[in-house]
Amino acid sequence: MEVSSLFDDVKRMNMRQFYYQVLSFGMIVSSALMIWKGLMVVTGSESPIVVVLSGSMEPAFHRGDLLFLTNYPEEPVRVGEIVVFKVLGRDIPIVHRVLKLHEKSNGTIKFLTKGDNNSVDDRGLYAPGQLWLTKSDVVGRARGFLPYVGMVTIMMNEYPNFKIAVLVCLACYVLVHRE
Amino acid sequence: MAPLDSKEKTDASSKPTKINKWDGSAVKNSLDDAVKEVLTKKFNYTENFKLMDIKLLICSIAVGVAMFALVWDYLYPFPLSKPILIFSVTTYFIMMGVLSWYTAYIEKGIFTVCIQKDSKRDVVWEASSLLKKYDDIYTLTLACKNKKTGNFTKISSEKSVANFINEDGYVVSELVYAEVSKLHNSLLQERKDK
Repeated sequence: MEVSSLFDDVKRMNMRQFYYQVLSFGMIVSSALMIWKGLMVVTGSESPIVVVLSGSMEPAFHRGDLLFLTNYPEEPVRVGEIVVFKVLGRDIPIVHRVLKLHEKSNGTIKFLTKGDNNSVDDRGLYAPGQLWLTKSDVVGRARGFLPYVGMVTIMMNEYPNFKIAVLVCLACYVLVHRE
Repeated sequence: MAPLDSKEKTDASSKPTKINKWDGSAVKNSLDDAVKEVLTKKFNYTENFKLMDIKLLICSIAVGVAMFALVWDYLYPFPLSKPILIFSVTTYFIMMGVLSWYTAYIEKGIFTVCIQKDSKRDVVWEASSLLKKYDDIYTLTLACKNKKTGNFTKISSEKSVANFINEDGYVVSELVYAEVSKLHNSLLQERKDK
């Protein structure tokens, strides 16, 4: 098919059909978005699904595992649990195990984490001067995992151009092609 | 919007539409457009956009709610935005349900509604079509609703798309016109018989 004929579908549309085309593209994006936001509400975690990006938790989790997280405020964090937490100044959340935990009678906690495969605890990873994590740093606790699925995400993160190319191609196809 | 519409239509009618004839949805859309053109141009009926506009409204609300949730969640990060998120997520999925219900039970494949209004009669024409995936049989249904008497008659034809589209992928508007007027006239005939 020649390139010039690609836009024939679009050229033949009237205003309503074109608006509907834009809306149906919008609905594909919104459906994904709303499923994600719905999961956020159900799990209580701001990022209910994460991909393990490093090997620091081997042999429990490998690179490319998909983790399912929950973050219910009434469930206490305990030593030995695997938590996903954010550190100030780092974009990507970290998945590590709780090593030490101090809890006050009013329920506030501070805890230290360590990767199973790392030889030292995480104090070196925390923000400068930070010795403990608190409840507000927690993104969620690992509840289930799916191996290898996240490899696609890792590929896309390592080759940003590839990701952009795939997204642009998909978007163009949906917008140009009339259903 | 109106002047733009009419300009586009004259453009489309001046030269025949060429399509990729192996693309099922393109075939269906171009035939639908040709049928619509016969009704609006040749028979001079006014097109009524209410059916389409309601659908556009439903979709707009759904997308609008989703965009609102996105912006709100960006301005007030997650735990704060929870009530708004619950509201938008439920609204979105309800709107999606309404949309499927609307396309399945109200729209039913109707792609154009035309109104024939003159001194004698006040008639609503509805054209709907069906083209199954990987199938060449184009089912065109023309329905005629008389607003005064409440009469409702319907007739449909099943023909291969090869009857309307030539080998090079051009829609032959004369053949479409012949088919539509055949259905149209038999509906008018039926009404007179009664």
